[in-house]
Amino acid sequence: MLRYIARRLAQAAVIVAIVATITFALIHLAPGDPFSAVLDNPNVSESVRQTLRAQYGLDRPLPEQYIRYVGALAHGELGWSFSHDRPVLEVLGSALPNTLLLMVVALFGGFALGILLALIQVSRRGSIVDRVIGGITLLFFSMPDFWLAILALLGLTYWLPIFPVAGAVDPVMHEYMGFAGRLFDRLKHLALPALTLTLLASATVARYQRAALLDVLPADYIRTARLKGLTEREILRRHALRNALLPIITLIGLSFPALLTGAFFIERIFAWPGMGYAVVNAIGTRDYPLVVGGVIIGSIMVTVGSLIADLLYAWADPRLRGH
Amino acid sequence: MAAMRYVRILCAAFLCGCAGAESRGGNTGGTLAMSTGGDPDVLVPSLLQTTTAAQVVDLVYDRLADIGDSLNVVGDRGFTPRLADRWTWAKDSMSIAFHLNPNAKWHDGQPVRSNDVRFTIASTKDSTLGSPAASVITNIDSVSTPDSATAVFWFHARSPQQFYDAVYQLPIMPEHVWTGIAPAGWRGSEAAKHPIGSGQYRFVRWIPRAAVELAADTANYRGAPKLSRVIWSIAPDFTSALTRFLTGETDLFPQLRPENLREVAKHPELKTQSYRGLAYVFAQFNLRDPADHERPHPIFGNRDLRRALTMATDRAALVRSVYDTLALPALGPTLRVYPTTDPNLRQIPFDLPRARAILDSLGWRVTTADSMRTRNGRPLRFTMSVPKSSQVRVQLAVLLQEQFRRAGVKMDVEQLDFPVLAEKDRKRTIDATIGQWNTQPSPGAVRGSWGTEGSRSANGNNFGSYESPVFDAYIDSALASFDQAHRKRYFTAAYETIIQDAPAIWLAEPKQVIGYHSRLQLAPLRSDAFWIHIPDWSIPRDKRIARDSVPAAPAPAQSAGQKAP
Repeated sequence: MLRYIARRLAQAAVIVAIVATITFALIHLAPGDPFSAVLDNPNVSESVRQTLRAQYGLDRPLPEQYIRYVGALAHGELGWSFSHDRPVLEVLGSALPNTLLLMVVALFGGFALGILLALIQVSRRGSIVDRVIGGITLLFFSMPDFWLAILALLGLTYWLPIFPVAGAVDPVMHEYMGFAGRLFDRLKHLALPALTLTLLASATVARYQRAALLDVLPADYIRTARLKGLTEREILRRHALRNALLPIITLIGLSFPALLTGAFFIERIFAWPGMGYAVVNAIGTRDYPLVVGGVIIGSIMVTVGSLIADLLYAWADPRLRGH
Repeated sequence: MAAMRYVRILCAAFLCGCAGAESRGGNTGGTLAMSTGGDPDVLVPSLLQTTTAAQVVDLVYDRLADIGDSLNVVGDRGFTPRLADRWTWAKDSMSIAFHLNPNAKWHDGQPVRSNDVRFTIASTKDSTLGSPAASVITNIDSVSTPDSATAVFWFHARSPQQFYDAVYQLPIMPEHVWTGIAPAGWRGSEAAKHPIGSGQYRFVRWIPRAAVELAADTANYRGAPKLSRVIWSIAPDFTSALTRFLTGETDLFPQLRPENLREVAKHPELKTQSYRGLAYVFAQFNLRDPADHERPHPIFGNRDLRRALTMATDRAALVRSVYDTLALPALGPTLRVYPTTDPNLRQIPFDLPRARAILDSLGWRVTTADSMRTRNGRPLRFTMSVPKSSQVRVQLAVLLQEQFRRAGVKMDVEQLDFPVLAEKDRKRTIDATIGQWNTQPSPGAVRGSWGTEGSRSANGNNFGSYESPVFDAYIDSALASFDQAHRKRYFTAAYETIIQDAPAIWLAEPKQVIGYHSRLQLAPLRSDAFWIHIPDWSIPRDKRIARDSVPAAPAPAQSAGQKAP
């Protein structure tokens, strides 16, 4: 098992290196640079832009910039963010916990809600309840994440003012609250972005889980359970669900990229100070080191996430433990 | 328990606030929360580029003198004392001595000295800093300091704007904070993240991607401001920032668009106020061939054709469609707010039949089935590039496309990321673009954006490569003229020259609209910086809410360590 993990980690390192190199090349080859965006000010001369480019080493040939970047990476540095004027590690280090919090809440919430919805659908398959839930999950499944985020924002902050609009805390009052007040403030601000991401994740999970449950229901052991006199509810919970959970574990691995990219757009709309917020802004301002750093951290999260999913799958299915 | 503690803090703060307000006998206290779309780029006066940074810096730092609301830039008329409580002109006008207010102090308690003034100018001129302000203070030779309370500015030449150049472009920075840091490392330094100024507000904190907070400097030499705190609440998404304002999370939203006004009007507690900004919008033609800059552009190289395109444009209808009442058709590369602008500048009129006739006479005739013009088999077709981040400019391009179609001209609209468009502008590889210049109180920037120097210089911002010795001469004469009437006459001649040459279609002069909560009492909004009078804004005590009663946080300890990139 340890050898397997080591091999997968080595593969992951190669994937991350390739992704980082491609991102580095693409973002540098895109027209514009961090200092061409100051063009709306007629007083900013080209010589000032050249000075700024030189200060940050952007006047060097691209291969030289790449070699310098790889050298810094080998020392554990992700470079200097032009737009934040701080080391990239510091920018992403402060943003990553917020993104992880959002993703973990959405992952657990989405899977719990999705599995619950699938169970309700299967227990009442063919009924109006099944069809309504199926329709709703299809709607959320096909809805772009940013669109759902905007609807949630307008619906639950403006038309029905239940949640705060944006940010991780109330920027005006948070510093002056007690511990409980701060905690409540943080949870209140987390609710809407987490709910949006949860709804998106649960729609996918519900559809997969319903199909997986319907696949196992005709199996012999289910028929045996029925013959033993178990109720439909017990059959679903004890026998069908356990066996139908295996494909869902694969879905956990597959969900990581979707959750991460979903979080990117949702963070921007809700001004949630996570990695997505930082990296999406960095693309617009051509903050090369921050974009590449964000992609590296993101690809590490995705590859490690899929490794964990594979390990969970092997742990859950005794037939795979030997492999 | 903690919630009770919070309530107690609020009660105590409220009582303290009341006592403070009573003792000062004025309408002081309250918090202004402002929605903004992005973080400041850098809180260093000589380096900043973004509006949010300018707002913060203008409240934290002071200038030697402040331009008046009339925005006069000739001589010192209208300027009001700030760090300098008076100034003396040399007889030959080659120097101005500024006498510093003896009570002026930095927020760390150090007195403001003439060395700080000298340091500010010298560091801005240092090429290793890369200050955008360096190009606008080139007439300042140096600053000498005969004593700690007098700073003498020495100029290369007498100029009508030398006083404006000395005081407007740069707030004064504390030498003792910055002197140990190499200019190239200023952006990333701790000092840039915890600015120490001498303005009526002191810096409290900056939480990246969340908020910037300032607190009233109650011991300020100009007196305490009326509002206790100013907070910028950052949300990059426009809808989020606007919703924050509509739901009352913030008191002010400075970027209202025409389509938002109806929504704001549904809230009786919200108000709007428009003011004249310092921006103008234009559709600029590239007069040089994008493939070979030595040759004229195959379409726009012809002056008559450019005039025909201008005649085919119903600018009034265009502006009404996009801005409703929140803009006027632009007069030229200038603004109505400048005292030197004649509002009756001679324009190329909208005349579609005449535009068609000119195009016919130039050999561009309608020959194709789709009513588009061609000449020698070449269609009259070009691409208009616009930044896709600007909804207004995209709308203008689409409407312009339709107006040109009626004249038989095919225009494609290309929406680009702003950095991509900027790069194409810089390399002069566009056909045409819808641009916007955000200018300053001085009309002099027109020289760099439309003059020959800005076209030929590698550093120039004249991306359309318009060149006219007549226009240049009139602008130079205007900028050198001390007499306001002469100045206006020269500027008028220059503007009429460029309008008739039509290197661009002058589209719109937008008004700016801020939305604010009715509990705020505003002071006049100045065209170049609506926020400049925030120290005079107030919230009456009977209209205060919970956030107005929070005590201002203590200033954080200053650490000026250097972190170079």
